[in-house]
Amino acid sequence: MNRISKFQFTALLLITDLFSLCCCFGGISLGTLWGILAGTAVQYLAAMCFAVQGGALKKWAQVFFLVYAVFSGGALFVSLWRTRSAVYIPYEASHGIWGSLMTAGLIALVCLYASSTGIKSVTRAAVIAAVMALLSLSVDLVSALFNAEWSNVSLPEKRGLLGEILRGFGLSGSLGSMAVWLDSVKGDKSKALTAYFAAKAAAVTAVIVTVLPVVGGIMELTEFPVITAAQLSQPFEAQRIDSLFLVVFSVLAIFSVTLQVMTGAYLFGELLPRFQRWRSFTVIALVIGAAFIINGRELLTVRACAAAAALLIAPVGAKKSAAIGSG
Amino acid sequence: MEKGGLLPVLDSSIQKIRSVSGGSSDVLINRFVTGGIHCALLCCEGMVSASVITELIFEPITDIPQQKDSHGLFHYINEELLLSTDRPEVGDYDTLFQLMNSGFAVLLAEGMTTGLAFGVQGYNTRGVQEPLGEGNIMGAHEGFTETVRTNMSQIRRRIKSPELVMELSKKGDKSSTDICLCYMKDRVPKALMERIRRSLDRVELEAVLTTGYLRPFVENGSFELFDSTGTTERPDVLCSKLIEGRVALLVDGVPYAIVIPRLFCESFQTLDDYAYKPYYATFIRWLKYGAFLIAVLLPSFYVAIVMYHPELLNSTLFMLLVDSEKKAPLSIVTEAFFVLIMYEVIREAGVRLPKPVGGAVSIISGLIIGDAAVNSGLVSTPLLTMTALSVLGGLVVPELNPQVTVLRFAFLISGGALGLFGISLLACAVLVNICATEDYGFPYMAPLSPFRKSGMGDTAVRSGIKKLQSRGFTVEEYHE
Repeated sequence: MNRISKFQFTALLLITDLFSLCCCFGGISLGTLWGILAGTAVQYLAAMCFAVQGGALKKWAQVFFLVYAVFSGGALFVSLWRTRSAVYIPYEASHGIWGSLMTAGLIALVCLYASSTGIKSVTRAAVIAAVMALLSLSVDLVSALFNAEWSNVSLPEKRGLLGEILRGFGLSGSLGSMAVWLDSVKGDKSKALTAYFAAKAAAVTAVIVTVLPVVGGIMELTEFPVITAAQLSQPFEAQRIDSLFLVVFSVLAIFSVTLQVMTGAYLFGELLPRFQRWRSFTVIALVIGAAFIINGRELLTVRACAAAAALLIAPVGAKKSAAIGSG
Repeated sequence: MEKGGLLPVLDSSIQKIRSVSGGSSDVLINRFVTGGIHCALLCCEGMVSASVITELIFEPITDIPQQKDSHGLFHYINEELLLSTDRPEVGDYDTLFQLMNSGFAVLLAEGMTTGLAFGVQGYNTRGVQEPLGEGNIMGAHEGFTETVRTNMSQIRRRIKSPELVMELSKKGDKSSTDICLCYMKDRVPKALMERIRRSLDRVELEAVLTTGYLRPFVENGSFELFDSTGTTERPDVLCSKLIEGRVALLVDGVPYAIVIPRLFCESFQTLDDYAYKPYYATFIRWLKYGAFLIAVLLPSFYVAIVMYHPELLNSTLFMLLVDSEKKAPLSIVTEAFFVLIMYEVIREAGVRLPKPVGGAVSIISGLIIGDAAVNSGLVSTPLLTMTALSVLGGLVVPELNPQVTVLRFAFLISGGALGLFGISLLACAVLVNICATEDYGFPYMAPLSPFRKSGMGDTAVRSGIKKLQSRGFTVEEYHE
């Protein structure tokens, strides 16, 4: 397996989380932030257990993570389709279902190409994409602060903390990939996990703390608060920049789906070593198939349960590393 | 050609040479007797210097005293006469022809199965001139020439270290082109040299006429938009690369050297950067990064914004564009495509035509066609301005011109079809492709991704020379 650095690992996983956050459906409040942060802390603890356990995954665990990658990929496509009313994609907007299919097809094509180049090149590209996305998002969100109404931060909370933790888990589609690719990280795995979860917590906090004062007043009316916040952030008086959010959104979507496709293709290769040539293609076909099955539903509870299962299965399904085995 | 020693009978040997060469007119065979032995001096017309061969070979050789046999003659020449510094021995006809066609004079003697060759090359070559493609203000004005040995001497003149190794070999079954592998043996890892040698061993071409024949052999085989090996026509640039632990390949007959490996950031570095103050060099470097992005993306962004995302423009600019575009008879994408194609045609014509005519083509295209196109309303002025800016941006980074040209068209099509979404999709694919480009374990995007903080001093900015000096950089730092 190719070796990747902890920054590359962090960037790749963070992109998926940022995309899920951008597509986050329904109103959010300060409780959402606490919920997601609490969820992240729980995930971090569970992931550290896996890091200590170390080693590659057993066959049955690989089967689980393959299914999880296909499901997560499908959920990402569904999120993409759901947000089309908020994010303007030229061809899609005027061609209904065929437009959606074409959007999915084009993204699938790029993902197929990206995953065919291997984990090393995708992680290298992901670092650049993540930096660009974070820069653009911060420009978007910092300009949003000028339109902020800080009293909106203390909005009434609709869900309890448990509900928000569940939501946080549901928005963490990269946990399966984390378990699969952790073994290929160079150096101290626990440091890589710390870097990832710290970056995730920081990014989520920055986004939600900016979204709340901007969208707060119309939170009841908005479907996708993060996208709305980006649309409301206009640094210039005479022109709008919300189309630029589309660029960030597309880049995040592509790398998120690519991660799931690559994870699935890698696991396919591990499970069926003779099946080499059409692995990525098969996974992407399965992902689009899963998206059609899920279509229209958020399935937040199912996603949260799957993420929790991934965290539990990862340490249990790991082969004992040489160091532990001998020790 | 059959292997085996030279025929001992001089007449038979000469007959054989005539038959192998097909009686070629440029094969000159001069028969004479010296020291009482029948000899023949063979050379290729135009490849040797007439004055050198007369002064250094004929005059001393014809003064040789009587010898008892041919062995004695060769022994006398080898021990008593210093006819030339380069004196290989010829054991077979294959070598004989190779040497003769490289400007050596070969001496054959009756009864000998070997010959003596003398390096008396004297063919006409272009002198050292200023490189045409890599402009430089503050640096040296010498470029490589078509003669590999002259190029080797230009490098040696700049790096006098004994660590600089130059390995000559021949490639091409028919052309027998001299190839010179240059490297600093204390800087280049042995494993890398072995891998490059193995790559070159795979060359089974009949002729090596340009660097492009060899580059595919030393590059990664997968589909890469950008070249993981570079070329330079400047000896000073090549020397800086060699000192950084890179390997160079010189090809006889080509005034360019191949540099292995090449990084993306190097396309934005010139030797002039190190002659200016760091703040100005940094400014110029960022100007080049910006120019590259403008060259690739400006027409596509213009088309995407005007067609799908006009809200990104302020009202004054928007009205200005609407006003000029509504007069144009073609769609914006077609218009942009047409202008870019026209530019490429004009550029290609300018490059291929003789220089005086090339200048006329530029005037006709720039002044007459451009002006007429705008006045007739075929092309809108803002679009023409954007295209011109994009083309100018591409000229700032000439090394990436092929990639810039193709990507500009690709982005234009994707932007025209799907707006910023299409541009983003293609940008992701291109980004992954660039990041996948790797040669012998050196990632093309280093030190950006994989990130190397130490490399930023000569990538994001241009640090002071004192700071760079203390760094002691070799490209090995980027190896993965």
